[in-house]
Amino acid sequence: MCAALSGPTTAAALTGSASLLFSTFMADDTKSLALGLRRRDPEVLDALIEQYQYRLFRYLLYITGNRERAEDFFQETWIRVLERGHQYDGKSKFEAWLFSIARHLVIDWQRQKKAQSLDALTNPEEGAPMEFAGDDPSPLHLFLAQESEATVQASLERLPAIYREVLLLRFQEELGLAEIATVLSAPISTVKSRLYRGLEDLRGLLAGEAA
Amino acid sequence: MTQELHARAEQLIAQERVEGISTADQIWLQQHLAECASCAARAGATEQAIRSLRGLSVALPPALASRTQFRVRMRAQQLRGEPRWRLVWAACGVSWAFGAATAPYVWRGLEWAGNRMGVPNIIWELGFGLWWALPAAVVAVILLMENAGRRSEADWKRQQN
Repeated sequence: MCAALSGPTTAAALTGSASLLFSTFMADDTKSLALGLRRRDPEVLDALIEQYQYRLFRYLLYITGNRERAEDFFQETWIRVLERGHQYDGKSKFEAWLFSIARHLVIDWQRQKKAQSLDALTNPEEGAPMEFAGDDPSPLHLFLAQESEATVQASLERLPAIYREVLLLRFQEELGLAEIATVLSAPISTVKSRLYRGLEDLRGLLAGEAA
Repeated sequence: MTQELHARAEQLIAQERVEGISTADQIWLQQHLAECASCAARAGATEQAIRSLRGLSVALPPALASRTQFRVRMRAQQLRGEPRWRLVWAACGVSWAFGAATAPYVWRGLEWAGNRMGVPNIIWELGFGLWWALPAAVVAVILLMENAGRRSEADWKRQQN
């Protein structure tokens, strides 16, 4: 099974020709994906955008803390994937490469703003408050977005971005330590220490919120 | 139970989630958790934190994928155009360089051929002029083809809109 195209978002999220492509990819491996990216095959890109839209948007939303900004970065990330598709060698997971591109875009943008780190991006004291929720939530969403979710969101907002990011990559995106290290361009030891610290802080924050 | 045992359990609880632990450590941890209520509560809180994290959902902006797909296709069209232009300019440069380098020989060659065939000077001189105009003619043809391509691209954009 194609590792790059498997994951929480399944073929059910795809439609029409994209689902056909997906089933084709299932039989192939990441090498086929790399070939498609090298050729800048629009059908391959369409299918990838559909498949990874939720995960990439969620990641961007949690590291930027702003829906509009996350949306802009989402589009820019895919433009970058198109332009630099030849750099994906097919040896690593596609999502790690994808998140790495997204992260670099955010960092570059942040550097232009002359901030020193990703952390400043979502510092509530420096910018607008974080906007994880949608503008127009459905009644079902409202029903489901109960106290527990709100508590977790609130706790996450209070976590420094560098810890929030690794927690999301590890426990939401299910990336391995080496893959997270690739995304962050950091040593595995750094990833581990951030995970331990982030998990500890999150547990403390959740306990505090619950109390 | 000593403080060291609790500290070890604490470390293993996090380590199990972050990077995994050995079977022996798993067995030891399970035994410890069965006997220690505070460590069991800590393990439960850690598990709950991770479960909560996994349960978070975000709402996607409407038509995010289709809007992005459209932008990506537009950019792909642009990118397909860029190498052609590089090629045109490269061909132009090579052509002019070759023309300049061979001009004296072409001039003498045409002069010799003209005299040999007895044609008026103006004819072989025009031939020489054509030799110099050839690269420009090639570029003109490429530009015409490029314009045709842009027209079809504009049609495609109108269809998308």
